[in-house]
Order: sequence, then structure tokens, then C-alpha cells
Amino acid sequence: MAFNFNWSPLAADADFYSRAREMLTAALNKSPKPPIIVDDILVNELNLGSVPPDLEILEIGDLAEDRFRGIFKMCYAGDAFLTLKTRVQANPLNTYLFSKPSFTSPQPLAASSGLTIPLQITLSEIKLSAFIILVFSRQKGLTLVFRNDPLESLKVSSTFDSIPFVRDYLQKEIEAQLRTLMMDELPAIIHRLSLRLWCPEHKARVAEEKAHAAKLDEEVPVDPFASPPQDAVDARGNVLDASEISSLSLDRGSEIHSLFSQKNLLRLAALTDSHRTLSLFTPSIRDAVFRAWAGPSERSDTMGSSGPATPTLMRSHSSLGSTSTTYTFGKGSDDGHGQLTSRPSLVSLNSSTTGLSLGAGRHSRSHANRKKKTRVVNLRKKKTTDDMVSESADSETSSVMPASEPLYATSISEEPGDSIITPPRSPSGRVRFRTSSIDLGDSPRKLRLSNPGRPGMTSLTVPEQAILDPVPPIEQLDSRATAPISTNPHRSSHAPSQYAAEKSKSDIPHLEPAPMLSDPSVPGILEQAWVLKMAGEIARRAHDEKAVAEGFWQRDDRDDTPPPAYQQKA
Amino acid sequence: MLEFMDYIQHAFYSASHWNYENSYSQLTSTARALLDFETPRGLRLNVSSLSSPNFATSYALGSVGLVDGSLSYLYTSLPLHATSQSGKLNLHDVIRGYRQIQELRKPEESWMWEQWLGGKRVDQRDTLLYGRLYLPQSTLEALYLCRISPTQQVKLSAVSDSRLKNGGTILALHQYDVGKYSAETLYSTDGGLIGLRGLYNFGPDPRKEVPEPPRADDRPYGRFSAGAELYYGSLNKSGGVSFGGRYATLPAHKGIPLTATLTVNPLMGNLSTSYAVKAGKNLALCSKFDFNVYSYESDLMLGCELWRMKKRVEKKMERSMAAKLAWTVDEVKEPTTPEPEEVAGVLKARVDENWKIGILWEGRIKEMLFTLGSSIDMKRKDQPFRALGLELQYSS
Repeated sequence: MAFNFNWSPLAADADFYSRAREMLTAALNKSPKPPIIVDDILVNELNLGSVPPDLEILEIGDLAEDRFRGIFKMCYAGDAFLTLKTRVQANPLNTYLFSKPSFTSPQPLAASSGLTIPLQITLSEIKLSAFIILVFSRQKGLTLVFRNDPLESLKVSSTFDSIPFVRDYLQKEIEAQLRTLMMDELPAIIHRLSLRLWCPEHKARVAEEKAHAAKLDEEVPVDPFASPPQDAVDARGNVLDASEISSLSLDRGSEIHSLFSQKNLLRLAALTDSHRTLSLFTPSIRDAVFRAWAGPSERSDTMGSSGPATPTLMRSHSSLGSTSTTYTFGKGSDDGHGQLTSRPSLVSLNSSTTGLSLGAGRHSRSHANRKKKTRVVNLRKKKTTDDMVSESADSETSSVMPASEPLYATSISEEPGDSIITPPRSPSGRVRFRTSSIDLGDSPRKLRLSNPGRPGMTSLTVPEQAILDPVPPIEQLDSRATAPISTNPHRSSHAPSQYAAEKSKSDIPHLEPAPMLSDPSVPGILEQAWVLKMAGEIARRAHDEKAVAEGFWQRDDRDDTPPPAYQQKA
Repeated sequence: MLEFMDYIQHAFYSASHWNYENSYSQLTSTARALLDFETPRGLRLNVSSLSSPNFATSYALGSVGLVDGSLSYLYTSLPLHATSQSGKLNLHDVIRGYRQIQELRKPEESWMWEQWLGGKRVDQRDTLLYGRLYLPQSTLEALYLCRISPTQQVKLSAVSDSRLKNGGTILALHQYDVGKYSAETLYSTDGGLIGLRGLYNFGPDPRKEVPEPPRADDRPYGRFSAGAELYYGSLNKSGGVSFGGRYATLPAHKGIPLTATLTVNPLMGNLSTSYAVKAGKNLALCSKFDFNVYSYESDLMLGCELWRMKKRVEKKMERSMAAKLAWTVDEVKEPTTPEPEEVAGVLKARVDENWKIGILWEGRIKEMLFTLGSSIDMKRKDQPFRALGLELQYSS
């Protein structure tokens, strides 16, 4: 098998550079700039150079005529360069006073008078070294994500090279900026470029949206964010400040899901707590009908939901019509390549406590856990850089977290809705195949709804509907098949009680959350690798068989419209 | 328009004989008042009171999209007897316009402050304490002002805000003023900024000789002052420096009062000149020109201030009881001195070379002081009005 990577045709396209410049300019000017930069940042020149990067194929997860998924190791030491133009404020006292309260300002008379200097920065000798996850599908375009910080070194030359202090400062600042650009913005830019190249429907949709937008401009829509909620929190219960709320807008559909009033969340939490205790106090919630738990039937419902059919896939429709796609990468990919950076789990502990304290019972708790578990790289939206950073930090630490991890094992999941077989699942079958756990399904799951037996609650906590997707069969096939291989005596006996433990928020120490693969009882790397390999084999075979047997692709072709989460905006 | 608490603070300065204007930071106060005035945004309401000579409170409520407000309290150990009713305030005291510099005063000797009782000194330093809490941002401002001697003053101001780095900042300022010259030292915890400011007044020294009486001839009679400032941020290793000079006529000057300033920032190559004249009794004009010798950027600003006066409403003369008893009318008394006119309002306007216009109308309706202002950008034809605001103040 051979791959042919063409580097120069990219550059041969005359339109390519102007488009890329445009997108880079937009990306650079989007985030709030430090006060030292007083003008827009313009991308003056961009050249990808003639030296292609070295690519080493580490793994190919999926390969077909119209799709590809693989993990690469990339090294780049080419002659690409980038020239930026902007204007900077040269007076340090001026920028010093910029964000300071006027009450304690020293109020200089003229010492703070400004001097703006045009600045030209050239970035060259870029050295990159990164693990790349590349996912391509003709329908959804190209997705490229860096698993680690790709930037190794970089030469910054500017107008101020003669002043060492300024040069060092610029070098430091630009490296930091570029790292965020690489990790956050570049995947989005590449994705959008690829959509233009490969997806004719996308072009049509863009045109349509433009026409629609022009129409919308005439009839001004009512913006619910015109009067933002007073104490809004985000998905993890952190309080959003006013600027964050104001930066939300109607176009970013999925953000709305995570915006609840903290007051309401607290009230819901009190409501669910009142069920568990003998508390007589039930807070009243306006415009909501409240139905108490009738008896053990509901309880069994909640138990059942966490039983065999653990939903790993959830699709949430945006009520506003514009959806965005998030790609969820299982944390496990780290383990497979042995580059697991285990940081102290302060962050995740913290976030879990906020989730517990603020969350409305089970929903938000499972939600919080889930958040920790996955790394969500949102490729369609412009404004989630903060979230992504924090989530990636969480995801890397999540293996230390006890309880509930096996619940949310992400695994190979193909197109949504291709699950027919739901075999009875043995509790010991929670082996996850971390190497191949790229979740490409449409999964903008901000909300996790795991107990359908409580309609009152769901209508309260989840204003937008969430759909329960059954477990993709591959995972279950795998788990069944590999159940004998994984030898953990504790697992089968303790697994049910683990749910209970999780529910009662108590940590049982010997219930190591850690996945089987890193379990000390499984000896040796060789065995792990073998298990992995076997698992991969079985997974693929099972998948192929099923696809053949049930006409999976035909079925997929039948529904013409892509799943709703892929109807992205340009 | 000055806020009530600033007005009280200035009342404290004048009660403790502190010359607020004799400082390098106030060198361009005329140009700032005429050109850099702030136009209000949204609706703002202030209710204040000097409930006792030592204690003042003020509440503010504002609405710029969101509703916010502030509570402030002030205590001073020096009883203040300033007029605090907004219906009776002299508008010249609360509206900053053309600043007429005054003759330098001889500073008081330190023995004049001593008070003895039974062989012990009982006098205390005059202090002022002020705190302000902004809601809902939960920002706290605090000020401590102490006159440690007739020529010295210490000012500590602090802001506490969770959004600031380290949770807040403190600025300490020591001021030394002997009339002939003044010096200030400051330290800010934010970046470890150290600052020095100095101002020297040319001409007669108020400590040694009595200021000569104003002459009757038409030669300009004024004062030239020069000063400099120096800042150094000890943590971020940055600094700033500037020099400045001012020529201003004194009240005894017979011709048109004028003020001219020049400030130079040698590090950044910035030159700024301003020229202000009081063209008439109720009119002041000002212009400012900035130029940067390194970047060749320049800026021109023009501004004016117009005071509208109205006749004081005469009280209706009732026929007095004595006149009624005598079956006569009251004798008509010719007013010996013309009644001083009352300020009806002040119009301030400024325009810069980018056609950004700021307009302010300040005055009094009934017992309330109001400030109505707008900033207009003529370059943007579709939406010229950038901000519009109304501020109302009531104090008792």
C-alpha cells in the first residue's frame, strides 16, 4: 500500500494563497488583542515553501474510497514563511495604564503619550513535530487535529531586531500566539478549506445561507442575548461573566445548550436532593409541573439506563436550526502511543466538585464526568478556544479520576444509527480500545440524558431535546469477544456496585477506574499490544460482516440528508 | 461636572489650605477641562448628602444597558462648611472650565497648627477617609488622605477587584508643596511603579517677599512654571519621562487671560502644545496640537466653553406692614450694586481633526444639577451618535 502526498499542487492553486491569507487574517484578529497591538493584524505574505513535511504513518484506522482516518507523525523543517503587518504601541507606560483602574492611576501628564510604530514580523524556519490525527470523508471534509503541541522552534524576525529586549519579547509572545493558533484555529481553517474543495453541496449551502443572511438582515431577528441572564453558568457550572455572555450569539447554536441560569440549576439540585433525603422542602419552579418519584419503578429505570445500554452516543438537535459538529476523541489515544502525560488531577477534581455541587442530580453529574472523559475539538465554531484548552487539560488527567470512567468509554463508532444488535452485555466487558477510539460520529453532546424514565426532570433540565442513541454494536462485539482476555477478577463482581457507588458519590478505593489496559493485573506491554491488535482485528471483522450482512452502506445511502449535526454553517 | 465626593474632597483641600493646582500633574488642567471632558453615557443618578460637617454619603445609580450603582461614604476629621445643597451650589465650583491660576500663597508655618492644652499638644492631623463600593461588580475603592504638615500631604488610594492582578492595587502619593516649588513621590504596587514629579514656579518666592501689587500698565502679568516627571516600573523594567512648561496670566492681568502649555516626551518624541484664552467674560477657547517627531503623527483639537448667564430672579416685594399702616407705598430703593448674575448653563464643545465631536450641556433645573452630553462621529454617516447620556445630581 502506498500513499502519494502532493505538496506542490497545493501551492500551485493561485487562489489558495489569497484564501488562506484571508482566513488567517480573520483568525488572528478574532481573539482580543493585547493593548500593545493597536491595529488589525494583516497577513502580508504566506508561502508554504517547496520542502514537504515528513510524514510517518503510525496507524490507519479506516480506509475506503471516500474516507480515511489515520494517525501520523509529522516532522517539518521546511522553508515556509509568513509575514504579518500591524501597528504596535511603543510606550510601555501607555499600555501599562490601559487596563488599570483610573482611581489608582498615577495619572502621568505626558509620559504616557503614545507612539505607534508599524511593525512587520516575518516567521520563518518553522520546525514542527507533531502527532496528527487526520480524518477525511468526502462528505464532511478534512479534519486535522494535533495531539500535542506541534511547534518546536521558530525564527521571528521583525523591524526591531536590533533591540534585543524587544526581539526576545516578540519571540516569546508570537510563539505563544502561534501555539494557540496551531492547536485551535488551524484545524478549523483546514476544515473550511477542505469543504470548499471537496464538497459541492457545501458551496451551494453557503450560497443559500448567504441569501438567507441577506434576507435576515432586512428583518432584524430578535436576539435573546440582548438581555443576557444575570447569573449564567456554562456547562460545567462555572459562572460566565458578562463579556462571555455577550460574545455568545445566535449563530453559535450549541453554545445555547450550555447556558442555564445558575439559580435554576441550584434549584433543580435542591429538588433532586430532596428526593434522596427526607427533606420536606421542595423548591418551586415556575412554569413547570413537578412529579415526585412514585416508587421503585423509576429507580429501576435509572439503574437500567446505566446497565447494558449505556449510551455512548448522543445527538442533540439545536432548536435554532444551526448545529455544529464536534469531534470527540477518546482519551485513550494517548495510551496507545505511549505519550500519556499524566498530570496531577487537580483540575479534574475541581471540575467534578463544581459539577457535583451545582449539578441537577444525575444529569449534570454524568455530564460533568463525561466532560472530563472526552476531548471535544469543535471544528465549526469560532469561539470555544477557552473551552478546548480546559477540556484538553481535563481529558489528560481524567485517567486518575475514580468512578464512572468505564461508563463513558468511547470507542469506534461509525455512522450513527447503525446498531441493530444489542447483545446482553456482560459487566466485565468494559474493555476499551483506546488506540482506535476516534469518535467520528455526530456527537455535539453537550447534554447527556441517561434516564428517560423521568419526564418531569428532563423537561426541566433539558430544554432542547436530546436523543438517546443506542450503543454502537462494534464496541459491544468487541467487548464480548475480548471479555475472556481481559483478566480482572474484580471487574465482574464489582461492576454493578460501582454504579451504586457512583450514585452515592462515594469512592471505593479498590475500584480502580483505570481501564483494563493499564491495569496492573495485566502484565506486560506485549500482552497489551496483543490484546489491542486482537481487538482491532475483531472489531474490523465484525464491522465488515455486519456491513455486508445488513447492507449498511446502502442503508446509509438511502437517507440522503446527512445527520443533522453535520449541517454546519460556513 | 465634578461628582459630589470630588467636590467634598476639594472642599477639604481648601479648608486645609492645600493648593491643589500647584502640582505638575495639574499643569494642563485648563486644556484637559476644555478638551478632554468626558461625555456621559446612559442615564445616571446621584443622590448625595453632607449630613454633618464631618460625614458625607453618596449613592449612584446608572443604567448603560445593565443597571449598576455605587455606594460611597466619606469621613473627614476637619469639619467642612461648604455649601452642599445642589440648589445653592456655585456652578463655578463644580464645573471645571478655564482654570484661572491664583497668586501663590505663603505656606503656613508648622507652629500655626499647634494646639496646646495643659502643656500637651492636642492638635491632630487632618484626615479624610473615603470608600466606594461598586455594585454589582464588587469593586471597592478606598482613599486615605492626611495633611501631615502645612507643606505636606499623603494620599493612599486603593482598589480591590477580583478581576485585577493580585486582587487589587495601592497607590501611595506623597506631596510636598512650599509654593515656590512642589514635589511629589509616588509608588504603585502594580508593577512596582515609582514616580517623581516636580514643578518650579519662576518669579517671586511667596515665602520671602510679599507679592508685589499688580501694576496698572498693559504689560502681561503672569507666571511661568516648569516641571518634569519620571516613572520607572521596577518589576516590568519600563519607564517614562516628560517635561513641561506653562505660562499663564494671573488674575491681576489687565488684558485677556491666557494659558499656554508645552509638554515634551523625549523618549517617545511626543510634543504637545495647548493654548487657551478666556476671550470674554463667559467664553473660553482652547486649541491643542500634538506632534510626534518619530512617527510624524499629529493631532489637532479645538474646544470652547460658553457660560450662559441669567438674571437672578428678583423677589417680589410685598408691601411692608409699615407702609400699609402709613397708607403709603414703599420707597423704591435703587440697587446700589448690580446683583451678580446666575449661571443658567454651560455649553462645552470639542472637535478633533477626525471630526469626532463632543458636546456637553451642564446646568441646573430646580434643585438638580444635570449634565447632558453626546459624542458624535461625523465620519460615520449612518450612525453619527456614538453615545448619549444624562447625568442628574441631587445633594443636600
